[in-house]
Amino acid sequence: MNREPVFKRKTAISYKTEEKTVVRGYDLSELAEEGYSFCDALFVLYQGRIPTEAEEKMLKYEMGVFLEHSMSPSAVAAIGVSAGRPNLPCAIAAAVSTFGGVHGPGAAHGYMLNKYLERAHRDGKTPEEMAKVLVDEYMDAEKPVMGMGQPQHVDSDPRAEPIHVKQEDLELEGVYLRFQRALEQHFHERRKREGRSRVGVNVVGSGNTALMEIGFSPMAGWCLGSVCRGWSCAAHALFNMKKGRAWGASRNEPMVQMIDLSMIKYVGPEDRVVPKQAERQEYARKQKEEGEYKKWAI
Amino acid sequence: MGDLNETKKKRGIGHLDSPKMPFDYFKREYGTVPRDTKRAPFQWVSEVAYKNVHRIVSRGYDTTELMEEGYGVVDVLFVDYQSRIPLIEEEQMLNYVMILALEDGLSAPAAMSRIVARTKTFLTQAAAASILAFGHAYGAYSAFGNRLERYLKRADTQKMSLADAAARLVQENAKEYESLGVSGLMLKDPAAKRMIARAEKLGVSGKYIAFMKEIVQAAQKQSPEPVDIDMLGATGAVMMDLGFSAEATWAILAVTRALAAGAHYIEEIERHPYMRLGEALTPKADYDGPADRPVPALKDRAKVARSGVCKTVEEWSQAREERKKLVGSGYAIVEEIEDPSKKSGIKKVGKL
Repeated sequence: MNREPVFKRKTAISYKTEEKTVVRGYDLSELAEEGYSFCDALFVLYQGRIPTEAEEKMLKYEMGVFLEHSMSPSAVAAIGVSAGRPNLPCAIAAAVSTFGGVHGPGAAHGYMLNKYLERAHRDGKTPEEMAKVLVDEYMDAEKPVMGMGQPQHVDSDPRAEPIHVKQEDLELEGVYLRFQRALEQHFHERRKREGRSRVGVNVVGSGNTALMEIGFSPMAGWCLGSVCRGWSCAAHALFNMKKGRAWGASRNEPMVQMIDLSMIKYVGPEDRVVPKQAERQEYARKQKEEGEYKKWAI
Repeated sequence: MGDLNETKKKRGIGHLDSPKMPFDYFKREYGTVPRDTKRAPFQWVSEVAYKNVHRIVSRGYDTTELMEEGYGVVDVLFVDYQSRIPLIEEEQMLNYVMILALEDGLSAPAAMSRIVARTKTFLTQAAAASILAFGHAYGAYSAFGNRLERYLKRADTQKMSLADAAARLVQENAKEYESLGVSGLMLKDPAAKRMIARAEKLGVSGKYIAFMKEIVQAAQKQSPEPVDIDMLGATGAVMMDLGFSAEATWAILAVTRALAAGAHYIEEIERHPYMRLGEALTPKADYDGPADRPVPALKDRAKVARSGVCKTVEEWSQAREERKKLVGSGYAIVEEIEDPSKKSGIKKVGKL
């Protein structure tokens, strides 16, 4: 039996011997035996500390409310991948991979807050003053303000405001919530002044604010949110694997399937003749000169 | 598009007009398939969850309301996968299991996350890669759990004692050692046995833990080496006694580990530079393939090239054995890839 590490690295996260697995100095088995929760262990992992009870409750709430989101890009990816019936982890990995610059951009929101808080510190401004600067700079540049708006929950994200309230109820208000609340206020005021509709805070705006308030870095917060969604996406993939039809194209189902041929709408170049090799060079030269292909190039 | 087909037929296209073709290629239609109005239009069908503009609902429970009532992330796993609110003791037990599953040092998932991190990607890509490392050896929950189910069913239908079923399981699956749940991995680490003890103390142990204990005893009798319950055996049996299917267990624990893979991604970037294309070398000392040799001139190809086509079964059999000697060719591996498709589909929905 070869028990050499798969990857040789100096690490400050954990070590594992024949006797125990230790994370940031704490034996994992002892943590569990003492009755700490999984969320407590996440604080140990990312912050090297045991959290207060209120902090643990906040993380439990945030991850719990973020875990399931029905049909989002992540669940759709998991279901799509599961249609080919690969190993289940492939569907989960695909789901987690969908979290990028738009879907659950927790790190981007966190970096934005940190950047402007740093400016507030440097320029001697309050979070409220700097939040207005942020909103004006983003909106003047016509850039979306991270953490605001949700394409499906257009009338305020059902998770977002309750997270803010929970954070306040748990008396976990700090500089991040103060800044985020001010950001939202200026954002709403400016949109109102411009005659635009109200766009509420989304779960990244409020959830990530809470995560950063309780000490998680933007990157750690992003990981907690996006990876925990993998749990529900796995459930969606499993449902389809166990109760649905593979491929998603069967004509025997009473409902048209996800990739039934009739679901394809083609809007590309018209059907055309493939040039013979003898015609190729002249054909290709002409095609390049005419440049019509550029309309389709992506 | 009849004209286009006619034009193409006159021009001829490669072998498409061969009489060997079982169809007339030039009679095949162009264009997309019209919408099917005889069946219900496509919808995302789910038993798990739905959402609208104002709510996200999992198995009938509004998830915001769940949190406001004091439930948490671990409870939602029971809701999503089992459609039920867990007992307090069950929630405590799943917390316990997930703490133990969170971190495993520099094993495959952490290594995957770190390797991907060094290529400069999003954190999510690295975390996802760590999930892909949960194969049927490292993350053998599916193989382990489904085997437990099979042998428990056999014990029931064949009126066999649990001890006999366990002895058969160990005997008949010795080659699948990576998914037995019994090994020499935890002889000095009490964590697996503690987990079983905790499940019993919380009153959540059931038939899977009972069967697992019999499997341990059977393995200890049959193995020439000292063996005991390992983390796969403990977590797998506990999760199934908590009501999770083998596949749900696989998914939940792979994602749990991915939450720590994120920390490995971060540390890798904090402590090491990114790796560029062409940067990593493979020392010749680590190479044991064919010796360096000259590339033959292209004009000499016919002289040096050997066909891979085997004309007889005997020839094929010999070639196959020879090819097995070339490590990396894949000939030495034989796998059976099963199709787990359920043929039933979801007939109850979608009717017009």
